[in-house]
Amino acid sequence: MKKEQEATAARRRDFLKLAGLGSVTAVAGAAAAAVPAVAKEEPPGHTAGYRETVHVKKVYELARF
Amino acid sequence: MLAAEVVSEDTVLPEDRLRAHQYQLLARFLAAPAEAELLRLASGLAGDDTEFGRALAELAGRAGQVTPEAASREYHDLFIGIGRGELLPYASYYRTGFLNEKPLAKLRGDMARLGMARADTVKEPEDHIAALCEMMAGLITGAFGAPLDLTAQRAFFERHLASWAPLFFEDLEKARSAWLYAAVGTLGRVFMGIEKTAFTMET
Repeated sequence: MKKEQEATAARRRDFLKLAGLGSVTAVAGAAAAAVPAVAKEEPPGHTAGYRETVHVKKVYELARF
Repeated sequence: MLAAEVVSEDTVLPEDRLRAHQYQLLARFLAAPAEAELLRLASGLAGDDTEFGRALAELAGRAGQVTPEAASREYHDLFIGIGRGELLPYASYYRTGFLNEKPLAKLRGDMARLGMARADTVKEPEDHIAALCEMMAGLITGAFGAPLDLTAQRAFFERHLASWAPLFFEDLEKARSAWLYAAVGTLGRVFMGIEKTAFTMET
């Protein structure tokens, strides 16, 4: 099964190369330098990690001794 | 979500990075009038002897000849106009005949699931061709989270681009106001064809 997947991946790679996509390298990084219209957004339910909320700050304040 | 969950650069294959670059190139041309810097960059493109390569070369040639002012006038006539331009580059319009329709609603749902949002500075609806190209690029490279695998990329492409983007690019190729952007149209049309075919080769 894995060999089949590898063969398909190779076929795809060869197709893209032969189709002429290799020519696009020149504008590579520069094309991305435009002002993005789409931003990354955390899906609901995810927290970006530890957040220093007012509540948390208070805990630290009270913990000082 | 742990900060340590870093997706290594290696997980995105070189050929997929090139696809992302091509989407970004189209996005940049279609999001705003081509300014001097973009024209300078595009004029340096070189294409091989394939339909795609020839389209790149044609765009490079025209980008090297057109002034930013002429490019801006073209863009304005094509996409802005008075009230509307010659073309309306929105999925909803092409698919239903009206703006802000079901295709836009569907897209917003998928965007939320995939961790994408319209940037604060943007006023246009999200189903604009430039935004969709930007989304494809980001989904390929992992700009909004982990890079999507080909199956998921294909699903997004088929849901939001496949049925109308080729037609849009064809219209752009033939638009009355277009000369520089006609080459963008050709490039976009050929690239959509490549994407369509390449996606049939995903496991």
